[in-house]
Amino acid sequence: MPQQLAIIVLVDVSNALASSTLEGNTYLFDNMKLHGSVNQGTGELVTAINGSYWRDGSQASEQVLNWLPYSLGSIPPTVPRGYEVERARQTDEDALAELQELAAKSTVPSADAEAELNRIRRNVGTRVKTTRRTRGRMSGQKIVDVMGQVVTEDATAAASYPAPVITDIYGEAVDSKIMYPAEYGSPDMVTDGWYWSATVDTSRPGTYSYMMRIQLHKLVQTNGELRWDPVNLTCASALKITSEPRRNAFTKAGVGQLPIPATRPGRDA
Amino acid sequence: MKTQVNIIAVVDVIGALSVRTLLDGNLCMVDDSAFDSTHQGTADLVTVVKPGQVVSWTALAVDLQTPVEIKNISFEPANGHNGAAASGPAMSPPGSAAASKGEAHGQEESEGDKLDLDVWTGVVPHWMTPGVPYQYRLELQMYEGSNSVMSIDSPALMCQ
Repeated sequence: MPQQLAIIVLVDVSNALASSTLEGNTYLFDNMKLHGSVNQGTGELVTAINGSYWRDGSQASEQVLNWLPYSLGSIPPTVPRGYEVERARQTDEDALAELQELAAKSTVPSADAEAELNRIRRNVGTRVKTTRRTRGRMSGQKIVDVMGQVVTEDATAAASYPAPVITDIYGEAVDSKIMYPAEYGSPDMVTDGWYWSATVDTSRPGTYSYMMRIQLHKLVQTNGELRWDPVNLTCASALKITSEPRRNAFTKAGVGQLPIPATRPGRDA
Repeated sequence: MKTQVNIIAVVDVIGALSVRTLLDGNLCMVDDSAFDSTHQGTADLVTVVKPGQVVSWTALAVDLQTPVEIKNISFEPANGHNGAAASGPAMSPPGSAAASKGEAHGQEESEGDKLDLDVWTGVVPHWMTPGVPYQYRLELQMYEGSNSVMSIDSPALMCQ
């Protein structure tokens, strides 16, 4: 199979965080049902990889795998990458406008003004604290829910989780040199620019397991500050490799003459 | 002289399945013949070859992760298609498409899922008349199901 194969790793992030396991919270799909992959849409996917060899025994095809992690209950990965920043900036602008209005209409401090200030403070949202460990794309950002509204400290349950990140692929299939995984950069924003890919040696049929290390992020509140804490979990899957000889499709044997009729088209026929 | 000529059929599988035709830019055929093949990049590719050369066909999906395989290549003149050579862009009429779909089904059960093992390679026979395009039917299988096989009758091989 010369075509590439995609394995979608869909994670129910909030349940996985709540139960601290990916077991029962991960759904795997691939596009090889036609070739015998089983248990699509469950955590027990066995990806079928049909290899082939030439008549002299040499390997005829290698399979390329791509893993794409997705999150259940997050901002869809297809919205522009600057979406959260954009939404956060909008709330800042709204707050500024409201403050200006407030300043213009009340010259003397009053209880009304204080209530108004509190309301503005609530609407403006909270920024995630940046720590040494959590520096990066999500730090210093406001927390946004799946609808793109900023979330305040007292309503963080609605927060949209950052997409799961595969940080490693290892285990039997890698140890026995059946597949060679590596992380690649890509301009594709759907996968956030990075994805794991592997080439599979299809010359040794068998079933091989492998593990994925997946990083999720948990929103924690300490001393009134919010932060995304990384949580590393693992998830197992398997590859089932078969291998068959390639064959000449015209003759079903060796290379022969093309099956072109001896009659000239359009004249003698 | 090159000993091998490669023909690649690049298929926009999603496009083809959506509008149920390999025309309208959903199929783009190219070859690397040393002679002047005509209609490169279209479904009407006429590949110029010489007797004794090896011709090899490959199908590629535009979207790398969509399965497409060559289901069949046949030179047998289809009914009513004998004179199609000079009629420009041809496509299988609805009737014949349905017929080939029917045939396809029978085969599919036996070996439809092993198409990726097929190598479509053959030697150009010496009996071809030079300068005459020998049209062939290219059948493509895109994933599975009742509408997954589509064919086109317009590409051809022509001896120099």
